[in-house]
Amino acid sequence: MKRPTRLASAALATAIALTAAGAAIAQDPITIGYSIARTGIYAAAAPSQENPYKLWQTQVNAEGGLELPDGVRRPVEFVSYDDQSNPANTVRIYEKLITQDEVDLLAAPWGTPMHLALAPVLQRFKMPMVGNTAASVQLRNVAPGYIWFPTSAIPDTMGAELAKMMQAEGVQSVALLANELPYSQEFRSFLIPALEEAGIEVMVDESYPPDIKDMTSMLVEVRDAAPDAVVAMTYPSDAFLFAGQAKELGIEAPFVMSLIGPTIDAYRKANGTAVNGVVSSAHWSPEAVDWPKGQAFFDAYVEAFGEEPDALDSALAYMSLEILQQAVAEVGLDPEALREEIASGTFDTINGEVRFDGVQNVVTPTGFVQIQDGKIELVWPEAVKTADYAPKQGW
Amino acid sequence: MDTLLSGQLLFAALVSGSLYALVALGLNLVYGTLRLLNIAHGDLVMIGAYTAFWAISLLAIPPVVSLVIAAALCALLGWAVYAGLFRRMLARPDLAKRVEANSLILFYGISVILQNLAALAFTSTSRGYQYLDTVITWQCVSMTGNRLLSLGVAAAVCFGTLLFLRFHLFGWSLRAVIQRREAAQVVGVNLNRVQMLTICAGFAVAGVAGVLVSMTEQITPFMGFPFTIVAFVVIIIGGLGNIGAGVLAGFCLGLVETYGIALTSPGYRSILIYGLFVGVLLLRPEGIFTKAVRS
Repeated sequence: MKRPTRLASAALATAIALTAAGAAIAQDPITIGYSIARTGIYAAAAPSQENPYKLWQTQVNAEGGLELPDGVRRPVEFVSYDDQSNPANTVRIYEKLITQDEVDLLAAPWGTPMHLALAPVLQRFKMPMVGNTAASVQLRNVAPGYIWFPTSAIPDTMGAELAKMMQAEGVQSVALLANELPYSQEFRSFLIPALEEAGIEVMVDESYPPDIKDMTSMLVEVRDAAPDAVVAMTYPSDAFLFAGQAKELGIEAPFVMSLIGPTIDAYRKANGTAVNGVVSSAHWSPEAVDWPKGQAFFDAYVEAFGEEPDALDSALAYMSLEILQQAVAEVGLDPEALREEIASGTFDTINGEVRFDGVQNVVTPTGFVQIQDGKIELVWPEAVKTADYAPKQGW
Repeated sequence: MDTLLSGQLLFAALVSGSLYALVALGLNLVYGTLRLLNIAHGDLVMIGAYTAFWAISLLAIPPVVSLVIAAALCALLGWAVYAGLFRRMLARPDLAKRVEANSLILFYGISVILQNLAALAFTSTSRGYQYLDTVITWQCVSMTGNRLLSLGVAAAVCFGTLLFLRFHLFGWSLRAVIQRREAAQVVGVNLNRVQMLTICAGFAVAGVAGVLVSMTEQITPFMGFPFTIVAFVVIIIGGLGNIGAGVLAGFCLGLVETYGIALTSPGYRSILIYGLFVGVLLLRPEGIFTKAVRS
């Protein structure tokens, strides 16, 4: 009796060990690394990017994990660090993610300077990464290879498109107020020649520092000039100030644009119906019927975080992971195969089809959104708009 | 020129100035009495702002009520910081000598902790709420309700504090501690009590400022630092530890900033503010109003 029992125990032990090993292989997670600004000057903006990451992870894991070409699904695990809003830290962190943490895939950090700093690192380690929250004409100078930018909110095309839109809406004169930060100034430098070409007169052209606390003198000048349009090239903090003080001073221009800020949930909560009619920069709206995944993303986001996603950054962040997910399903985790797939494939995202030529998304058109009854509606260009542009009716 | 003479610009200058004066008042009380360099002061403004936001969002408590809640909350924090960190340090003469430099490091730590606790608890997502944003027009001056309230509360707290310091017995004790610490003890001032109540009051004032700021600005865990900077600029212009001069300097800074921008361009804001700051440091390092005003 003794011998067979021992044999049976050994067999059982082996079987348990094998099952455990098998389970371990099936459950072995796919690691995705990224750094993000949890502290420092960009920290307030970064949740609009990290929240979609978390949402995507929850959704993918609920489906059994990230699908590989052979149909096997493996759960997704994030490895993330705080880059303290410092591009030098971003570079160090991604080197660590690639060499020490040996992550399988990479997701993007927050912000243009981080993306630009990271491009050579990705090239050196031959690790592909789909970018998201970066927008500058400088992106066009990044050598194509291991990084891609799904955004179409690039200042040069935005300047031209905004002038076109204003011309179409019968705007003949404009006041420009620009934050001194790089993105606003870049946009302004492309907008002015485009406005000249469209025959729109620039009546006021003022720049202001990012830490501005009061816009009264500038806005009194705008009110006295009474232009058809006011284009405030804001960042989020001064977007709040601009909206509050434009209302206080009764700016009556029917076309009002605030560059960055209006798509943030808190902006609409703080300003209520006063900001109905404000135009802003984004190329996504959950209202688009042609992009059915958009509404599903919007609903899931609201349920998970109790607030609406930012139509620009949150949409881009989610899109970047959708692209990665579809590429992995096609070719697996091999960096070279992934690079080829992302560079040449076509992807179905919440913002419709995306395809890259070099580093840039060549499908998504540069667009503008407008707050209508508290909702973000895409009003430009004609081909993708979800609602007609409506002149602003007071504050 | 019309703009310069308009009441609109004066209103804007008074709103900014009163807020600068209020933020600086709290810092000046703490520095004057305890010689503590509270560089976490702006983070107390942040706590006040979050208090107002959560109170109105979750419990529908209006910011006018939150003024009291935020003040109490920050005062409690002030008591905890005093009792936990500084009481013993200030009581020992050898440590008290170094407290000014040490407090800078300690408050830096407190600032980092407060910011990160807020980020952990509330996330870094920007917050905002709508309150009293109806525009009132009086004599061609348009005023948003919340900015008018901000001006009223900030001015009332500043001038109320000055009156208290002038006419109340505790105010006299406090001024005595600021002016002659040892002598105040000799004549029977309870130093420990004055110090504790002052730090609570200083923190509470910052909390009140936070509630006012939250009505017009976005709220984030990292919003406090600019307020710390502006408070230091104001109290150095006015004269460190001189409460009345600090309040006056706050209003002056608001006027210089608003009219300076109107005369030049918004791009000159930093040059105007720091130009005044450096000018005062060069010409009257003891503070611009040290002789003119004694609280």
